[in-house]
Amino acid sequence: MLVHQFLETNAEAYSYREALVHLEGRINYIDLERAANRLANFLIGSGVRPGDRVGILLDSSINYVISYFAVLKAGGVVVALNTATTSRIIKSVLSDCSASTLIVHKQYAHFLKDIIDDLESLETLIIDGHYEKLGRKKTLKAENFFNIQLDANPQRPSVSISPGDLASIIYTSGTTGNPKGVMLSHRNLEANTDSIVEYLNLTCEDKVMAILPFFYSYGNSLLLTHIRVGGCLVIDSRFAYPNVILELMSREKVTGFSGVPSTFAILMHKSRINDYRWEHLRYLTQAGGPMTPALTLKIMEAIPHVKIYVMYGQTEASARLSYLEPDRLLEKIGSIGKAIPGVTLTVKDESGNVCPPGVTGEIVAQGDNIMPGYWNQPQETAKVLKEDGLRTGDLARIDDDGYFYIVSRKSDMIKSGAHRISPKEIEEILAEHSDVVESAVIGVPDKILGENIKAVIVLKAGSKTTERDILRHCRINLPAFKVPKIVEFRESLPKTSSGKIKKHVLVEEHVE
Amino acid sequence: MDIKTEVRNFLIDNFMMGLDPGELADRDSLLDKGIVDSTGVLELVGFLEENFEIKIEDEDLIPENLDSVDKIVAYVNKKQS
Repeated sequence: MLVHQFLETNAEAYSYREALVHLEGRINYIDLERAANRLANFLIGSGVRPGDRVGILLDSSINYVISYFAVLKAGGVVVALNTATTSRIIKSVLSDCSASTLIVHKQYAHFLKDIIDDLESLETLIIDGHYEKLGRKKTLKAENFFNIQLDANPQRPSVSISPGDLASIIYTSGTTGNPKGVMLSHRNLEANTDSIVEYLNLTCEDKVMAILPFFYSYGNSLLLTHIRVGGCLVIDSRFAYPNVILELMSREKVTGFSGVPSTFAILMHKSRINDYRWEHLRYLTQAGGPMTPALTLKIMEAIPHVKIYVMYGQTEASARLSYLEPDRLLEKIGSIGKAIPGVTLTVKDESGNVCPPGVTGEIVAQGDNIMPGYWNQPQETAKVLKEDGLRTGDLARIDDDGYFYIVSRKSDMIKSGAHRISPKEIEEILAEHSDVVESAVIGVPDKILGENIKAVIVLKAGSKTTERDILRHCRINLPAFKVPKIVEFRESLPKTSSGKIKKHVLVEEHVE
Repeated sequence: MDIKTEVRNFLIDNFMMGLDPGELADRDSLLDKGIVDSTGVLELVGFLEENFEIKIEDEDLIPENLDSVDKIVAYVNKKQS
């Protein structure tokens, strides 16, 4: 099945069931299908052909979901961009994938002002809302999202594509600092969606509270699994105010809630979660980095009747690779469980031999959910896709019962809140500051976020640059979530005899 | 310094570095403008508690109290009275 057929099937089976709830309104399956058809027909009419990349720069919303399925219906490839962004990142991503079309909310259109002329492949711009200050590029067609919904044909378009064709490219922070586009086919997403539906026992009766952004693979999997079963998503990204979300969850009688460790830390430390009875809540899912056993136990104590699914995955695997059954959570606490249905996970040593229980090696994954590679980066692809599967870069051991325990990550990516952040990208920005000689960016433990970003910097002799100057430089050139929280100036950085910065020495200074 | 100036300075110094302070109107939603996120709200709470010697209870963590300069000023005034 193709991914947009999830929606098409349920527009027939559950036409008048609610698909999405958002501040801007509520929409059922048949209306969602027709809205997506209208936009798809417009896209086809404006020249989008199978395989063309279409950027989406929208927050999680009804219009995001309409756009997502419309691009697929037109045979296009969804490139959903993080809305916490900069003009520089947008230019880099849209140029890398040569997007022909961009769907952008008026709130983010200002990012395009200075780069629109540099986006050579961009032919069509669809703006959600009213924004006039664009359009210097002569060849650019601009259209308003709302007008398309008024004018375009609501009939389902007929486009010939196959399950092996690309459905989406999700950009992740690469370890080199340059973003890498993870290519995912319809088959990849369908396989992962069906597997998650199976182990979470999702049905059309399920209603999930979706606070995670849809442009990340975790949020994307929430979207696809619920549309697949004819369920409902309650979309609200205002988790900055957890009590607002809790009230909404209670009012909407949601059955599921998904978060990353920092989500649950905020819920347990800074919310009124204990004021509710949660009669309708059936399950919680947690992914996006390790959650401390202490926090897991606290959640179990607060809402003992709710099943907690600890999960593990990667964007390169569409989203999910393993889960721990809620019934074994106490017994196997700290484990990421076992492979999800349809996936094979093994722990292997550097020679490719399978490690026996108790011995640490790298997690290697196989399954229909594994990406065909990184967009236009065959060398990077070859580093992780081997004959025996996807090299995850995560080091783990299994116990005698076959349960996986992550020991450490091979790469030095920082996990802060829901974000994976490349230290290299921040170091490159710091290097552009005229007074910075060198720097090392590391993750240091944080009670809420999991990790905080720290920059250790060596300045030129006699420099008067202050912490504030550095932070301002970062804020101009990086999205807010990538700006270091801690800046420390030093005379020198610890190095190996060959001159490589010994980051582990800096990291160990923060081990309690 | 009055409450409004202190709050504005805190937001500009901590969340708007490099951005034009003129872009923050006192009625603007801090969330919609992308100025604070979930951890930003917690930092803001820490600042208000320390600077204005008030205790912000979990039930007060709602946009009606904290989502614009005007709302923060009104909330702090209420807590101090």
